[in-house]
Amino acid sequence: MLNQTAISSRDRLRTALDHREPDRIPLDLGSTGVTGIHVSCVAELRDHFGLAREPVKVHEPYQMLGQVEDDLRAAMGLDVTGVFPRKTMFGFPNTDWKEWNFRGLEVMVPADFRIETEASGDIFIYPEGDQTAAPSARMPMGSAFFDTIIRQPEIDEEKLDPADNLEEYGPISDDDLNHIERSVRAAGGSGYGVMATFGGTAFGDIALVPAPSLKNPKGIRDVTEWYISTRTRRGYIHGIFERQCEIGIRNLTRIHDRIGDAVDCVFLCGTDFGTQTSAFCSVSTFRELWFPYYKQINDWVHANTTWKCFKHSCGSVERFFESFIEAGFDIVNPVQCSAAGMEPAGLKQKYGSRLVFWGGGIDTQKTLPFGTPDEVREQVLRRCEIFAPGGGFVFNSIHNLQAGTPVANIIAMLDAVHQFNGVSHV
Amino acid sequence: MSELEQLHQAVIDGEWKSAAAATQAAITAGVAPLTLVTESLVPAMDEVGRRFECEDYFVPEMLLSARAMKASMEILRPLLAASGSKPVGRVVIGTVKGDLHDIGKNLVSSMLEGGGFEVIDLGADVSPQRFVEAVTTNDANLVALSALLTVTMTAMKTTIEAFRTAGLREKVKIMVGGAPVTQQYADAIGADGYGESAAGAVALARKLVAA
Repeated sequence: MLNQTAISSRDRLRTALDHREPDRIPLDLGSTGVTGIHVSCVAELRDHFGLAREPVKVHEPYQMLGQVEDDLRAAMGLDVTGVFPRKTMFGFPNTDWKEWNFRGLEVMVPADFRIETEASGDIFIYPEGDQTAAPSARMPMGSAFFDTIIRQPEIDEEKLDPADNLEEYGPISDDDLNHIERSVRAAGGSGYGVMATFGGTAFGDIALVPAPSLKNPKGIRDVTEWYISTRTRRGYIHGIFERQCEIGIRNLTRIHDRIGDAVDCVFLCGTDFGTQTSAFCSVSTFRELWFPYYKQINDWVHANTTWKCFKHSCGSVERFFESFIEAGFDIVNPVQCSAAGMEPAGLKQKYGSRLVFWGGGIDTQKTLPFGTPDEVREQVLRRCEIFAPGGGFVFNSIHNLQAGTPVANIIAMLDAVHQFNGVSHV
Repeated sequence: MSELEQLHQAVIDGEWKSAAAATQAAITAGVAPLTLVTESLVPAMDEVGRRFECEDYFVPEMLLSARAMKASMEILRPLLAASGSKPVGRVVIGTVKGDLHDIGKNLVSSMLEGGGFEVIDLGADVSPQRFVEAVTTNDANLVALSALLTVTMTAMKTTIEAFRTAGLREKVKIMVGGAPVTQQYADAIGADGYGESAAGAVALARKLVAA
């Protein structure tokens, strides 16, 4: 456990989000589906800290993210907890946990997590847990998480209707609202900063385009076809985004009516605009196709709540930062410093007073999984020196901690943050 | 505008129907299939790659141009085979075992095909053994391995080792690429080359087969 401190984790987070320097850098691991930890790493961390040996819950089966329980959160010295949607990306509720042997590791999965394992070791999972439907994702042997299976019906240009791509976006149900209210109440009483994922406002997130939650997806569901459509079928894409935006704002309104300002920030969209060396579209395309909808959502949030708006986009995305700011995003993640044009000191200098960097703490493509603990420590300390001054920084690895990451490196990362923060384990 | 120019422009513009029509018209007019490849498709895909490098084009435009190029190649491929035309090189490409991501691999595959290579695309989640078998079956002289994930990029090393075990390592050049891959990693696992982008992969492939 960490030493007691004068201010709460929640105040620390809020201070950082307000671009004021808190007593120490707030630290997140596990509050969203893009700042999380692979279930195998969660299990190893629990062992490392000597916590109760119990199967870890896979709360996000698509990426096989493990739930960070309060005891582990305390042991790691984290400052943020997450509120998650009632259902997983595969459309079944995160309830009624059962044991599952995940390639030798005992974990817990929801009751409707239904799979078939082929002789090759490949695992297939079913939307809504319905094994009479075609599987919507596959985890090949050698991988540690699922990828969507493309189920693209034949496209008839004459009959394309944006409504076909909107089946998964509808009015929020009372069950969902009740779940959110319960989760927010529990999180609010924890003393941690609260990050919420409500769902429904990710415009064209390529992980969601194939509709892993649906049994019979219609519309444009093939990844390549979708990217091409952002160029050749803009009217269709606008049709989807316009309606999705209307539904999203209505749902956020109902959620806010229930929970008020009890969360600190909301993860609104995880659409990736960057690649390692370039971008998926030009800034002008972004401004034509995405910007109007982001602005409507963020404007509603800022006009009606105290929530801060969180945008995730991997890759080389510095070129979009001015547009993100103008669209009303407060927070960017994962701040992939290894991508082209994402040099940390330059980002901090240019955008540090206007964007909160939630991420950027350690590279998860090379240094964290393959480096030495000393290399990890050195990079973490350097990133903290760059990003911490003046606030506007929440320490997080650059995207989820991947399967196979040595626990010694994760501990080196945590120790370095705590060293920078001037706190120590007791 | 000649059929050659029309095909060139159709590929740059990503118009697959126009590309197919121009190809068909050129063949009907008696233009040699290899001429269409060397004077239309290769320079067109080079131009697409150049535009991608200078960020005039992005992934959607690349995908559209690749589709147009493929529409032309569908017509040309059997004619090239019948005429005994020799490709620049013969490359076996795939995303390595455990990895289902194929957008980057598909772009490289298209750029290589548009660059005059014969491409044997094995798809995604390809085992080391399948790479080895495909090289043997197709008498390929180049292998291109792709990975998006840190978890799966280690399969690149396993694949290269499989070529060593099969006694084929000296027969083929092996190039690697993908988001987490670096020149340093390529060197560490004994690859012959590292391509940072789809466009750069063509130049690298040409260099490797010429060596």
